[in-house]
Amino acid sequence: MLEIIKHGLETTVQELPGRIGYWEQGFPPSGPADAWSFRLANLLAGNPRDTAALEWQFIGPTLRFHRDGVIALTGAETAARLDDKSVPMWQTIPVRAGQVLACSPAKTGARGYVAISGGLATANVLGSRATFHMAGLGGLGAGALKAGQQVPLGESGATHKLMRVVDSARPPIAPAASAGTIDNRIAAMLGPNDTWLDDDSIMMFFDSEWTVSTQSNRTGLRMSGPQFTFSAQAYAKPAEHGSEPSNILDHGYPVGGISIAGQTPIIFIHDSPSAGGFFVPFTVPRFDLWRLGQARPHEKLRFRRTSMAQANEGRRRLDKLCSLQSLIEIDTVDA
Amino acid sequence: MPAVDVKSPIPGTFYRSPAPGEPPFVAEGERVSADTVIGNIELMKQFNEVFAGVGGILTAFMIADAEAVDSDAVLAIISTD
Repeated sequence: MLEIIKHGLETTVQELPGRIGYWEQGFPPSGPADAWSFRLANLLAGNPRDTAALEWQFIGPTLRFHRDGVIALTGAETAARLDDKSVPMWQTIPVRAGQVLACSPAKTGARGYVAISGGLATANVLGSRATFHMAGLGGLGAGALKAGQQVPLGESGATHKLMRVVDSARPPIAPAASAGTIDNRIAAMLGPNDTWLDDDSIMMFFDSEWTVSTQSNRTGLRMSGPQFTFSAQAYAKPAEHGSEPSNILDHGYPVGGISIAGQTPIIFIHDSPSAGGFFVPFTVPRFDLWRLGQARPHEKLRFRRTSMAQANEGRRRLDKLCSLQSLIEIDTVDA
Repeated sequence: MPAVDVKSPIPGTFYRSPAPGEPPFVAEGERVSADTVIGNIELMKQFNEVFAGVGGILTAFMIADAEAVDSDAVLAIISTD
């Protein structure tokens, strides 16, 4: 069992690939907002990379372990302590039954991961342990975890390798001040509804800085920035599309879709609504979604235009990084 | 009297009153105890209460109402007894 002493801010059980196959009934895929960090945490803890683990948001949890094993901390930067000793991120940490891990609030990034050897053995709901907090799905039956709860653990091996992630394989979770630099631009493809914007607005989107709103969560990232102008298509449409230029006949939303709500771009992420009536001129491909998961409020984001081929290449590159090849051994211990 | 900084644990938007147009949780110069709510920080579409953390006189707010804060920002200063 894993005991939740302090739950932090909406700390949840997440798993990959998430809750797949129920979106037409309104259930989003959920899963970790930064799958890159999540998978490295699992590999460090000796688990298959998609095993259920904890995701915390901005404020990390305090946890007590009730059996020996190993853990790993990745994602948003936290000053974590195991009992009274500070512990590093991005490497395997042995823990003993009775020890307490306390994570500090995130210094950079937004979402941190705690993987535990054997993984979390909460109930599968509609095929996944991933938590969809707004519907109270996953975890111990009510979405995010609460102080006092005991989370069941899966079977763990007897010995554990101590590993760390090589620097070049870690996601570059930048301090807020350096976000928006060329290396940190978020990939976005045109479509599905880019023809609803005029050409100037498409250029403006990629040339502008966008500020993340505090009204952003695992459902969507709301941004503020310059005003959009629309193509003739956004005006010359049947009345049932709606009265605003940004309204379209209700359609399915892709994860990573950047919708325009009036003048507010909202990027749908892991707990996104499945459908709605705003058009979606751009889509962030899956391999770069982790950047959105690590965006902090008031951070400035910029986007770079990507093709389908580049997005597929990015996905393959990231897939390779999320493997044992990214880890180097430090030592081996008996659990 | 020693002065203690009240820091924000999280990034977000700091609000000194519970809702627009309502009086602030605490006025400068007012006495607070450790569990007095001195403001709200909006993050992830939620309002997270900020507690004074110590007892004393809240001498000054360092962040204006509805202003952006990052984690570790000093929100207010309390002169402890």
